[in-house]
Amino acid sequence: MERPVHPPLSNPRWLRWPGIVLAAGILCVASVGVGALLWQSADLPFRDLWTSPYLRNVVSFSIWQATLSTLFSILLAIPLARALDRHRAFPGRSLLLRLMELSLVIPTIVAVSGLVGIYGRQGWLTGWLFPVHGQQIWNLYGLNGIVLAHVFFNAPLAARIFLVALESVPEPQRRIASQLGLGNIWLWRSLEWPAVKAILPGLATLVFTLCFTSFAIVMTLGGGPGSTTLEVAIYQALRFEFDFSRAAMLAIVQMLICGSLWYLAVRRGMDSALVPARHLAMAPRRKDSVGPGRFGDYLLIAGFTLFLLLPLIFVTLKGVPGVAGALSPLQDSVLLKATLRSLLIALPAGLISVIAALLILGAYRVSVSPVLARLPATLAHLPLFVPPLVLGTGLFLALRPKLGMSTEGLALVALINALMALPFVLQLIRGPLNAIDPMTLRQADQLNIRGWYRWQQLYWPRLRRPLALSLAYGVGLSLGDFGVIALFGASNQPTIPVLLYQQLGSYQMQAAATTGLWLLILLLGLFAVAATFSRTPARSSPKDTKGVHQCLM
Amino acid sequence: MAIRALSFIIATSLFCSTTAHASELNIYTYPSFVAEWGPGPAIKTAFEARCQCVVNFVALDSSVDILQRLRLEGDSTEADLVLGLDNGTMEAARKTGLLDSHDTDLTALELPIDWQDETFVPYDWGYFAFVYDTEQLSSPPQSMEALIDAPDDLKIIIQDPRTSTPGLGLLLWIRHIYGEQAPEKWQALKGKILTTTKSWSDGYFSLFMNGEAPMILSYSTSPAYHMAIDNTERYQAAEFDEGHYLQVEVAAVVANSDQQALAREFLAFMLTPAFQNHIPLKNVMYPAIDLGDDMPEVFDRLIEPETTRYFPPATVSANRRAWVDEWLNAMTR
Repeated sequence: MERPVHPPLSNPRWLRWPGIVLAAGILCVASVGVGALLWQSADLPFRDLWTSPYLRNVVSFSIWQATLSTLFSILLAIPLARALDRHRAFPGRSLLLRLMELSLVIPTIVAVSGLVGIYGRQGWLTGWLFPVHGQQIWNLYGLNGIVLAHVFFNAPLAARIFLVALESVPEPQRRIASQLGLGNIWLWRSLEWPAVKAILPGLATLVFTLCFTSFAIVMTLGGGPGSTTLEVAIYQALRFEFDFSRAAMLAIVQMLICGSLWYLAVRRGMDSALVPARHLAMAPRRKDSVGPGRFGDYLLIAGFTLFLLLPLIFVTLKGVPGVAGALSPLQDSVLLKATLRSLLIALPAGLISVIAALLILGAYRVSVSPVLARLPATLAHLPLFVPPLVLGTGLFLALRPKLGMSTEGLALVALINALMALPFVLQLIRGPLNAIDPMTLRQADQLNIRGWYRWQQLYWPRLRRPLALSLAYGVGLSLGDFGVIALFGASNQPTIPVLLYQQLGSYQMQAAATTGLWLLILLLGLFAVAATFSRTPARSSPKDTKGVHQCLM
Repeated sequence: MAIRALSFIIATSLFCSTTAHASELNIYTYPSFVAEWGPGPAIKTAFEARCQCVVNFVALDSSVDILQRLRLEGDSTEADLVLGLDNGTMEAARKTGLLDSHDTDLTALELPIDWQDETFVPYDWGYFAFVYDTEQLSSPPQSMEALIDAPDDLKIIIQDPRTSTPGLGLLLWIRHIYGEQAPEKWQALKGKILTTTKSWSDGYFSLFMNGEAPMILSYSTSPAYHMAIDNTERYQAAEFDEGHYLQVEVAAVVANSDQQALAREFLAFMLTPAFQNHIPLKNVMYPAIDLGDDMPEVFDRLIEPETTRYFPPATVSANRRAWVDEWLNAMTR
């Protein structure tokens, strides 16, 4: 018998173990983080939860505002995604999509400044939308502002993901529907709703979790103690009260609520994929894109674009006057140095999160036991609802003797940032990774295309685009991060967000506006680079895959 | 391992600023102190010129975080000196047992109150005050009472007393004026509070500077910056009849430091003009000593409260939790 040939890294263990070890690592880091706090606390004051009116209010307000925010985000995202799906070629569409991808990584303080400029008491739109008794009807501070900001951050993300789901409706089905002359409602019922339904629980859970754990928005626009979320309460317990017991207890409550939601979502089959595979084929001109209904679509798209753009335009106008000066390399620019430092943390963080996501998903495909198979991907969502501050403080306590103001703190910042980006990266890669059809895989098996070659030939061409986007998310989230860096990255050599806070603290309002704008430009550039990087192979990838097919035949 | 390798790369490329110097002084402080426009850089240069040492400023998130970091690190802290605590937080810092006596001659001090403290050396001071936008508000309230009784369409921005020192300052200010009646007064004030921000800078930048509210809780010295650097008279502090609450910013030596002598040298240096000259316009506070003619002219145009409101640090420490809870209950009711 012929001795089987083993291509590099073809043993299934190479796929299985790194992911499982990584997942164990995440669990370990999370439990060390929370555990260290628990270990420092005498007892957990769970009784406070129902004896203190303040804490009761915190829990119910967290749930209430997150529910509202999720509802509005999803209700806006679905019609928007449908409109964007119907009209695939209007000018500026790809730019709009890029902006929608960006929304998740815009630093809160920058976005809030923009939102205030538009919807605040002196905002551009306030006087216009509510000309009579505007102040009585509309007040940005409180539940209004929190929900508005959450919709601003999450509706674009949700619409982007819904759009991918709609685009993935197989073309033949679209054609049949078109031949049958199915109208708007029938299309929705027969094709679009099933596509949306598949990802709805997972997406709603993601948005709910993001709003539930929201922090900086609630702190600035919340209005006062009446609108405090759990994450804010945790922050306060840790920062001033030094009350580890209360922080740990609140963190546990938060993890229980979000954890059980995720458990339900995963059980109901969300595991399949939040972001399905992309089908880039251009659709023929669609019947439902030409009727009178199209004006409604135009209006929706235009309105949404304004909703997204106006705050950013406000930030841009405020920041522009200082840009040239702040960036001049001759002036020994602090901003340029801060940018370099930020990239030094953010690039590794992005890379780590992408590699970790790949390893975790790899383990999922080859695991023997179903429990072991689901575990890594489930654990990878932990960073979504373990408060970063709890994680950071706990790790700080656990590593205390070895960790001072040294640079190891900065490496830890990169690691925690990578961990926080992991759930998003995972969602972006999972669909495309799972979308490779079994036929191709079987053929690859027969031809012994395994391990490294399999990755090179089958996965890499299809994953290039999602990987580039994931990297942009990973790097972008880390670029704008302030929370973790404030805990560990103690240095008089600031990163961009730290610089922004330094400027704010010293009345440098113009400089701060410029730094905020610079951060926006940087993020936009990052996503543009990711887009160009992924576009080139996207054009050639059908050829590549065809090549593989031919050689497999 | 990965952490070490990565940190090595980062350290060697950008963050490593020190190499072979005899002695280093690590000072924990807040971001605006070390910022390029803050007093930190000039003070570092001035002190290094006379000490044959290297000053490392470690900028933490805020002054509250100096205390938090100190408590987190405990005995293993690398700080030799902490700079940036205030009379609201210093007692809590003293209770950590991590600080040592200063042994500094305090005769040069010029403060509105008599300063007797073994551990903490003041380096600047100021009053909390409401800063208002003259273009939005031509006649601001003249007293706390008038502010509390004002119609609800006068909006103010305050900070959370649990996360910000000015926020805590207002809590103490109202408590000092009204005593046991403070919770009722807070309830009466509630309708005027546009929003309560996490920190002073969140409110000042995104909200006050965008014209969202005509008044914000800040410092009586804030207008000095606008007048001297921005060349505008637009932002002024409102003087209240009841007097203003005093904030004194302080520094102290860390007991576990192996640079105690150097740290004490720095504390003594703090009370010299070489340090204090940078305070008025760079830290935007009053200097702790008399600067004579070096005092910037704009400071003559600031409000000068007749009464100084002040609780001894021990009183603050003993009651802070209860007063904060009182405030929480008044505000959520």
